[in-house]
Amino acid sequence: MSEPAQPIDDAFEIEAQALAQIMDELDYFQILKVAPAAPPSEIKLAYYRESRTYHPDRFYRLDTGDLKDAIGRIYKRINEAYVCLRDDARRTKYLADISGPDRQKKLRFVEASEQELKKDKEQEIGATPQGRKFFMAGLQDFAAQRFASAERNFKMALTYEPGNPNYKIKRDEAARLVR
Amino acid sequence: MDEIAIGIDLGTSYSCVSILENGKPIVIPNEWGERTHASVVSFLEDGTVLVGNSAKRNIITNADNTVYSAKRLIGRFFFSDEVKKAQAVMPYKIIEGENNSVRLQIRDALFSLPEISALVLKEMKAIVENYLGHEVTKAVVTVPAYFNDNQRQATKDAGRIAGLEVLRILNEPTAAALSYGFGRDITQRIAVYDLGGGTFDISILEIGKDVFEVLSTAGDTYLGGDDFDDRIMTWLANLFMKQTGIDLRLNKYCLQMLKEASERAKIDVGRDGVAKVHIEGICQDPSGKVMDLDATLHEAEFNRMTMDLVQRTFKVCDEALQSARMTASDLDAVILVGGPTRLPIIRTSVKHYFQKAPMAGIDPDEVVAMGASIQARSLLDSKGEHFLLDVTPLTLRVGTVGGYTDKIIDKNTPIPIERSKSYTTNRDGQEKVKIRVYQGESNKAAECELLGEFEFSGFRIAYRGEVRIEVTFEIDTNGIVNVTAADVETGQKTSCTIHLSSGLTEQMIRSAQTKNAATVLSREAAA
Repeated sequence: MSEPAQPIDDAFEIEAQALAQIMDELDYFQILKVAPAAPPSEIKLAYYRESRTYHPDRFYRLDTGDLKDAIGRIYKRINEAYVCLRDDARRTKYLADISGPDRQKKLRFVEASEQELKKDKEQEIGATPQGRKFFMAGLQDFAAQRFASAERNFKMALTYEPGNPNYKIKRDEAARLVR
Repeated sequence: MDEIAIGIDLGTSYSCVSILENGKPIVIPNEWGERTHASVVSFLEDGTVLVGNSAKRNIITNADNTVYSAKRLIGRFFFSDEVKKAQAVMPYKIIEGENNSVRLQIRDALFSLPEISALVLKEMKAIVENYLGHEVTKAVVTVPAYFNDNQRQATKDAGRIAGLEVLRILNEPTAAALSYGFGRDITQRIAVYDLGGGTFDISILEIGKDVFEVLSTAGDTYLGGDDFDDRIMTWLANLFMKQTGIDLRLNKYCLQMLKEASERAKIDVGRDGVAKVHIEGICQDPSGKVMDLDATLHEAEFNRMTMDLVQRTFKVCDEALQSARMTASDLDAVILVGGPTRLPIIRTSVKHYFQKAPMAGIDPDEVVAMGASIQARSLLDSKGEHFLLDVTPLTLRVGTVGGYTDKIIDKNTPIPIERSKSYTTNRDGQEKVKIRVYQGESNKAAECELLGEFEFSGFRIAYRGEVRIEVTFEIDTNGIVNVTAADVETGQKTSCTIHLSSGLTEQMIRSAQTKNAATVLSREAAA
């Protein structure tokens, strides 16, 4: 059932070089050339099909380093796509990611590690006890529409964590509502 | 004349070499018709070096200068448990080299582990050259699937030292599967159960017409046929202790005689159901009387003393099946690889666990080398007639604060693969970023294998948080890890210094090549 792999000629080389250039703009479905609704069996077939064309072993003996580099870039991305799409949970999350406004940033699937999740949470409410205390107080003021007090509390929180983007957003929001 | 590339199974206890002839893999015997060769190197007084079965005879008579089971130590740090264990039982001298590396001292000379393995590889190369009548320079060398990056890198270095261009470091179970499925046009899901001299691997594969996809692999690099021998040794030593009050384990010379007898007893009990052990003159009693050791080992006794080792392999099998999201009943075939799988206790336990009899007609000692030569030919031809889709066996991690690690690339991810991670400087004027890279399944650094400490420099010097460095972790088709870094804003690649690595430098490899080339291997028949 397998179709013969594309021969390695000039046309192929031009195509591969072009593909390697635009890898960063393609999502995994485009890389494996499958529809977002493709069943798992089709994803496996697509992976085999692309492997027949781009597996680095086919190019092992070539002297052209440029083409080998391009193939290496393409094939590593094919593997990355397969790892994500063969797993239902990952694939569902990935599809949601690339269907949203941050599509461009989320073309490469990264599973949030425990460390990163912790970091996200820290950014949200703060990494220092004092910062968190003032920030929470600020949120309470904000909910009670005491915007001036909220702004002071957020400013205090920022003195403990000057880099926290979430604190800055809330401070600016409160400052706007005071005026 | 066609270019020739050889396939080498570099085993813990035995090695084997194969080439493809008329499209079929064949095992090349040495001048005396031996098809497998003890991975033993013996350095004689007069400077002669013996490798193979003739060297193995010297384990007792030239114990201090005869190296065996080097594969158990290759790519390990001096502080590792395996090295400590080896120091206690090996008759040859194991000492610490630079950067926590391991060196063997043979008389006045120091050898790294890759240099020892390179002598075994040199012998394999010589066997083929002797058969073909001309030089060969290219090879595929196999390693246990569960080998980490340090062990793979060290094996590759061994190949280079032996004057070989290593086309690929290939996983042993994958090689066996290739040999099994090659040219047979089958579609099957198979398990390769590979119990070698020092390591255990299990790989689950899906074989299609032209594709060999590894779905998962798991293993234990501290479990092999040697451990079965150890059980018999303990049993014999205890028996002798009870009879005479003498502890044979206190003397390394006696230990070697025990070891040799135990290996023979294991083979005999597996083949005949009973083994008669007779070691003449194993020691002297306090009055100077020479004593013999006599014992009879029955299969039931042997099975009792090794059952837990067999059970340990199935724990690993559970893990591999789970990673592949399968149960034993989903498999079409089970292939046994490695000498110890000849043991009836293994065959019956495997049959029971997988609910099917292992495939017959596959030589467990030769199938890996044959797969390696098929892959060697295929890489030379590059026609893409079949392709191997292999995976990385261990999770790649980076060290974080407080002795913890963060996952970078999951185990069982197809290779080649890469992943990048950004780091920012956390001090004003920071010049260097240090990253520790690990492999293992624990989030605690101490429970993982350290691959090395990488130090990146040569990026812009600026205030903290202003410089972003993107570090790229790549695992190549050999399963070897490469780490590079670039300044995100300028795209400038940064330079990298590796601290804390057990590996050899380029310069060390070059001088080892010279030493290896100058070494003459004796071509003397084993008795």
